[in-house]
Amino acid sequence: MQAIKDYIRNLRHLPPAPHLVPELMRLLNQPDLDSSKIVNMISYEPSLTANILRISNSAYFAAALPTFDLQEAITRLGFQQVNQLLVASAGAQLLHSAQDGYGLEQGELWKHSVAAAVAAQIFARKLGDNENPVFTAALLHDIGKTILSNSLNGAYAKIVKETDGNGNSLLEVEIKLFGVNHAELGGQLLQHWKFPPNVVAAVWFHHSPKGAGVHQRLASCVYLGNMISCYMGHGYGHAAFALRARAEVLSTLELTPQSIPELMMETFEQMHLIQALFSLAA
Amino acid sequence: MTESEQVVAPKAFMPLKKQTACPNKFIVVPGGWLLSRDSTASLCTFPLGACLGIAIYDPVAKVGGLLHSLLPASSLDPKRAASRPGMFLDTGLTALLDGAQRLKATRKSLRVFVAGAAQIIDETALFNIGKINCDILPQLLRQLGVKLHAQNVGGRTNRSMELILATGEVLLKFSGQTASMLLCKPSKTT
Repeated sequence: MQAIKDYIRNLRHLPPAPHLVPELMRLLNQPDLDSSKIVNMISYEPSLTANILRISNSAYFAAALPTFDLQEAITRLGFQQVNQLLVASAGAQLLHSAQDGYGLEQGELWKHSVAAAVAAQIFARKLGDNENPVFTAALLHDIGKTILSNSLNGAYAKIVKETDGNGNSLLEVEIKLFGVNHAELGGQLLQHWKFPPNVVAAVWFHHSPKGAGVHQRLASCVYLGNMISCYMGHGYGHAAFALRARAEVLSTLELTPQSIPELMMETFEQMHLIQALFSLAA
Repeated sequence: MTESEQVVAPKAFMPLKKQTACPNKFIVVPGGWLLSRDSTASLCTFPLGACLGIAIYDPVAKVGGLLHSLLPASSLDPKRAASRPGMFLDTGLTALLDGAQRLKATRKSLRVFVAGAAQIIDETALFNIGKINCDILPQLLRQLGVKLHAQNVGGRTNRSMELILATGEVLLKFSGQTASMLLCKPSKTT
């Protein structure tokens, strides 16, 4: 724990905080949801307003007539979709750049994250769980990589030796090299940004959901979303498949191994949504 | 080379010095396949992940094809397989070979190249779609009466695949690497 705190303290630049996301998540969780508050909050963010209008008028969501009114667009989309768009707009800014230390070209971490979020959300829906925190955590699960990437520059040979040669996971390589890993760093960062504890825990433990305690179910959805995203071809960079299988995820979510191909097929069907979200970073 | 990475024709796998320029690149969508006789064209996949890319090439008829299949067997979902056969290895490969035959390729002269199926660290093999995809392949190829020429499967890194119609070369691009690798040298028409 101290190692992570030291690591964060020694960083010169943290990514800019996406203030609106935790705020909106709190608003959405209130029993007497006031839509004008949400419209008001979003209207102060020109780029977000533009994104919401653009997406609500896109081929995926479009109704018969285009709208240029935020209230109307939000009504059309529904709060669930608005949360999705808000998180995705923030995520596009945070995750779109290249992460050379991981061998990630511009846009690749973003694509990986979007596919993971859509897959995890499909899963949450099937299980009857609240989709918003699952989507949010899965979209931001690799945010810690944006912090660690610079330190990994030039470490490619080490990564290959440790993953291919010694059978370590990428996470274990990070711990070996720096004493911290991207999942813990991401969790710390989201905590620092005042994200709700369930989202923090799910990001922190997205490679080892057992550690998430009462949020194990949410962390398990994020774990699976990450894996499915890799399987579908959106696991980019060096040794992206050097992640450990966690059999307990299946029992936590009361699933069988056959659920994995099913989830892949269902994620595949949502390719148009994945493409629409990809474009937020364009 | 890791244990999970198998290469059938190790000598054919070499760094590519001069990439063949190809003016007409066609992208195969996941769950789809393409066939062509156009010698100015190349066919390529998106990054394959745990999916399998299968390229076929007949150096006599100059016919090539490429499939991007996601899952091993159509028995997982026969209804989906009927509407999108390329999603599954068995129905996809059958459709690819049938299409090649219609373009006058013969199974006898067809060369088959396989890539993809990256694998996570999974001793239990509960989750490993990549491994299941690989395991089912040899029997399927036998059933369909075609021979595997070269493959590069498994490992921990995502890759995409490209078939150049003019020469029958098969290139692999590994995620995080700038240079492509050559899975198969230009084909000789004998």
